[in-house]
Amino acid sequence: MRRLLVLAVLLGGLQLLEPLGSEAAGSSALLPFGFLVLGAYTVGELASAFGLPKIVGYLVAGAVFGPEALAVVPRAGVEELDLVSQLAVALIAFLAGAELRWDDVRRDGIKILKLVMAEVGLTFAALSTAMFLLAPYVPVLSDLPRLETAAFALLFGSVAAVHSPAVTMALLSETGARGPVARTTLGVVLVSDVVVVVLFSATLALARSLVAPAAGVPALSVGALLWEMGGALLVGGFLGAGVALYLRFVGRDLMLFAVLAVFFGLEITRALHVEMLLTLLVAGFVTENVGQHGDDLREAMERSAAPLFVVFFALSGAKIDLAAAWALLPFVIPLALVRAGAIRAGVHLASRWAGVSDLERRHVWMGLVSQAGVAIGLAAVVAEAYPEKGVPMASLILALIAVNETIGPILFRRALAAAGEVAILEEPSEVPVGG
Amino acid sequence: MPSTLVLLSLVVAAWLAAHVAFEWLGRRFMVLSGAEYLLLGILVGPQVSGLLTAETTGAFAPFLTLALGWIGALVGAQFHLPSLLQVPAIAVRLAFTESGLALALVATAMAGILAGVLGVPLVSVALPALALGAVALPSAPAAAALASLGNRRSATLLQVQVTTAVEALVGIVILGILLSALHPGGTRTSRPPTPTEWAVISLAIGCLGGVLFHLFLGSERHIDRLFVGLAGAVILVSGGAAYLHLSPLLPAMLVGAILVNTSGNRGEVRQVLSSVERPLYFVLLIFAGALWSPPTQAWVLPVLLFVGVRLSAKLGAAWLAARSIGPHRPSPAWGLALLGHGGLGAALALSYGLARHAPLADLVFTAGIASILITDGFSARLAHRAVGRRDVASPPQPSATAEGPERAPAIRQRSEER
Repeated sequence: MRRLLVLAVLLGGLQLLEPLGSEAAGSSALLPFGFLVLGAYTVGELASAFGLPKIVGYLVAGAVFGPEALAVVPRAGVEELDLVSQLAVALIAFLAGAELRWDDVRRDGIKILKLVMAEVGLTFAALSTAMFLLAPYVPVLSDLPRLETAAFALLFGSVAAVHSPAVTMALLSETGARGPVARTTLGVVLVSDVVVVVLFSATLALARSLVAPAAGVPALSVGALLWEMGGALLVGGFLGAGVALYLRFVGRDLMLFAVLAVFFGLEITRALHVEMLLTLLVAGFVTENVGQHGDDLREAMERSAAPLFVVFFALSGAKIDLAAAWALLPFVIPLALVRAGAIRAGVHLASRWAGVSDLERRHVWMGLVSQAGVAIGLAAVVAEAYPEKGVPMASLILALIAVNETIGPILFRRALAAAGEVAILEEPSEVPVGG
Repeated sequence: MPSTLVLLSLVVAAWLAAHVAFEWLGRRFMVLSGAEYLLLGILVGPQVSGLLTAETTGAFAPFLTLALGWIGALVGAQFHLPSLLQVPAIAVRLAFTESGLALALVATAMAGILAGVLGVPLVSVALPALALGAVALPSAPAAAALASLGNRRSATLLQVQVTTAVEALVGIVILGILLSALHPGGTRTSRPPTPTEWAVISLAIGCLGGVLFHLFLGSERHIDRLFVGLAGAVILVSGGAAYLHLSPLLPAMLVGAILVNTSGNRGEVRQVLSSVERPLYFVLLIFAGALWSPPTQAWVLPVLLFVGVRLSAKLGAAWLAARSIGPHRPSPAWGLALLGHGGLGAALALSYGLARHAPLADLVFTAGIASILITDGFSARLAHRAVGRRDVASPPQPSATAEGPERAPAIRQRSEER
């Protein structure tokens, strides 16, 4: 309550300062950004007090203080801070890769692959079918021929099947969970990210053969897709080896080096047109498993991850188009239910085949409901390829992401708690002076 | 290949080279680390190689503002009043006397030099000369840290540490008030605030911010949560000051000082602020170098004279101040330990240089970075001579601030671990 009051006073202070200032070149985003960080932190702690994951609080704060509601952070400010978001995603991917141990991959790799195949396959099929059946009621898709409806339904299914490494990592960081449910969920999320990108590319190629894309959109080729994936492995391997060498021979200023290395990785994936998440994932994996000093870097990164999670999810919340999401709610709720049901069914179906434990069978699906950055990126690709029909469909996907981004962390936290893997559930947020 | 990628590759390569080269140089010749990053910034900036364009440096303006605010908060966090009360009053008096004398000497001399070289009336260069005085004040705490190795009980060392902190305080306050006086206006109010009102606004942001963030952070001790809260506080205060065209250093320093004096978690606050000091310091130095542009006036002579004036004024002020306090004076050569310029000097010069409306902004900025590039090469050796040192295992790491007398044992312990 005290923090909320301070926030209210700060908000009043911002209003007082507003007529006194002018937008100094390049620094105009800093003032609202500072407020957003404090606001997200406060609402995150508040959410935690109610037993909800903090990232739900960060998202809510972003939505409340973002351009769609109180507009403390203007739309231009959110766009200016996009680099911070991208850096956060890259850092999260690197950290996720560093979480994987070679021994674990050898032991659980096949199990994870089987789970992913079943879960992603079933979710993709269920969501594509649901979208195809709902299409006559969705305004922009209602007047399309069946073949085109099928193409858009498949595209929707491939995007909506994506999970969220960011949410998974944030929850694991917040709860300190490292048990079988946490590890299997992380494995499935990371592997499915790669699988879904391939699936999406194949679906987009199929859709292009059924519905001509907008003029000027470059054609997809198998070679480009292979390079995007294979190149990511190669570039990520080199980057990881470089980082390992630095740790071996220099090993200083790790936090700064971590940010530089991740920024470098981000830029190099853009320049070489390779898949960013996979590149950073591989880089993190190689760093952790090749050298003997990977833990040092991971610890430095984890220290900087907590504020990055606040920033990333608050900015994600600020990007949510509340009005559009509200208008699309009648379509989004059934689709979200279908998606969650399909994920659960997929994990259950694969459990015997993959040989997962009963604990994992009951709880892993709850960690797979979240969606965030990757799905937003794929929705943007659809909107670019098909501006007329793709943009409204991207809005539908974004509304679905908004729902899953809010519900998913709550489910995952409940799953971790139910599995007894939450290490830091009741840590007090403050210690009395002298206590 | 995109320019950002080329730049990043270059920065990473140069950073590694600087690490290796300066590690060796530091060990061999007792050179303070830090100036190499400034040099790197100049080399990749638009004035030399052009790898970092003016547009790119402009895009990093928020990071620079944040770095300035963070350094200000760190300086403020040194002033824990109960700890300062344990410092002998004579040491504090000597520190303030030295700071005041050095400021007056540099400002007076530079006013005369600028008026003479540029051929303008004395009154028109008075404020830039005062800015140069403020920029000249800070002493590199790393030099004192180096001198402290193996010499924990030296009275001179204590005096150097107290003086370094007081110089930082005086420099930041003078520059903060100066930038209030030089405010460009352009507000959307019925009457633009006067310079005095701007100074009050600057102080009010710091004081009210400090009180509010004290309430906001409470007795939070969890480092991650404290980091997020403190980062938000420093970002907000720095962003607010930048939005109002004021120096972020002064309000952020007040926030830091209030937090360490009112909170039970002052140790954690200091720990969090220090944890990202070096990364932000490097960012500040690299981009300070990249932002450098040659002034339009005749600048080489005033800049070189500034370096000489600063060194003479600091030695002279230290000597005069020591003479003024009677028999319990520190070693006569204690002023040698104050010659290093360090990160806070760069921060003050950059803060003035970023105020494009301020007179002779480029010249003051150039003088500041030239002084760092020149003096940081030899200041540690002089500090060693002043304070006395028995063994040096490795050069001290660059830092914008000194954390008061209690820091010496920690520095020594780290050195011994190496």
